[in-house]
Amino acid sequence: MRKLLCAFVSALFLTMGFVSCQSDEEIKRQKYITEGILLYQNYCANCHQPKGQGLAALYPPIANSDYLQHKDSVICLIRYGMQGPVVVNGKTYNRVMPAQPQLSDLEVAELVTYIYNEWGKETQLTSLNTVKPQLENCRPKQ
Amino acid sequence: MKVSTIPASFWRPLKASLLSASLLCCVFACNSAGDKLPVLGEKEVITRTVDGKTVTDSVAHQIPDFAFVDQYNDTVTAKTVAGKIYVADFFFTSCPTICPKMKVQLKRVYEKYKGNPDVMLLSHSIDPRHDSVSVLNEFAANLGVTGKQWLFLTGDRDKIYDIGQNSYMVTAQEDSSVPGGVVHSGAFILVDKDRHIRGIYDGTTAAGTDKLLNDIDRLLTEYKS
Repeated sequence: MRKLLCAFVSALFLTMGFVSCQSDEEIKRQKYITEGILLYQNYCANCHQPKGQGLAALYPPIANSDYLQHKDSVICLIRYGMQGPVVVNGKTYNRVMPAQPQLSDLEVAELVTYIYNEWGKETQLTSLNTVKPQLENCRPKQ
Repeated sequence: MKVSTIPASFWRPLKASLLSASLLCCVFACNSAGDKLPVLGEKEVITRTVDGKTVTDSVAHQIPDFAFVDQYNDTVTAKTVAGKIYVADFFFTSCPTICPKMKVQLKRVYEKYKGNPDVMLLSHSIDPRHDSVSVLNEFAANLGVTGKQWLFLTGDRDKIYDIGQNSYMVTAQEDSSVPGGVVHSGAFILVDKDRHIRGIYDGTTAAGTDKLLNDIDRLLTEYKS
């Protein structure tokens, strides 16, 4: 009986260790996505709509958007905005996208993670380390 | 980033008239089983002469005549909406906050009553310096709006603010800390054929707009009987 209990407990610990190791990254991804959803609703959804479908010919879609292949520029335009015509899925849109300078590097990473997991077929997070140098690259020259 | 500067005068609270209007609004909103929609706003007292006698009378709050320019560069006055019921709202094209939500909702109204000669929509720009005729024309086209049923209005800024604040009873306030520079009311205002306000709705939500759609039907029914 004692042997059985012993085996059970050690199996339990093993499993726990395994699960927590495996899901550290996964927990972080979920956290990014959860934050990203809130940020999306606050800063993006008014124009791009809650399901990322965009609005007529005014605001381009994010869902099923071929523009998602330009991840570097997505990272930049979230923080610094965008002006002038842009072609998305073959259609031209030309409306000013306001900058959101108040978004931190981490918040941009969370937004990008949410957007690419939701609509970019990605299953991994876009880390702070990816976003930081890119935001530095595209910081407007003073 | 472009930040619109909207003078504080536009956003001055409406005090008593607004309060009573919203109270009325609440009271009647609960009592939606009534046959007719209420007439909102404070009654105005007028004095006139009938058969040589001076008579004091009270009349319902009415949207006064106005003159703005639409996205086709045509002048729009009270004559344009004569014999029609219409929905009015206030927005600006570069607004990144509630305006896109309102336009999504107002488009539902547009789609539902498209081609109905009794219904019009008037969207007033509160940033008329930026929202020129050509800017509004492009905006309407991009939103998928054609024809003359939904008009996007620009014109003298003070007159737009004045009619918004004093006639349509909309509120808003300047807030330089928000994108776009202004937090404003997301109201849709339903106006009848006599230019009386018959309802005020939250244009930023589907639920508010559902109520508007329902009330437009009720108002149209009033004219059938």
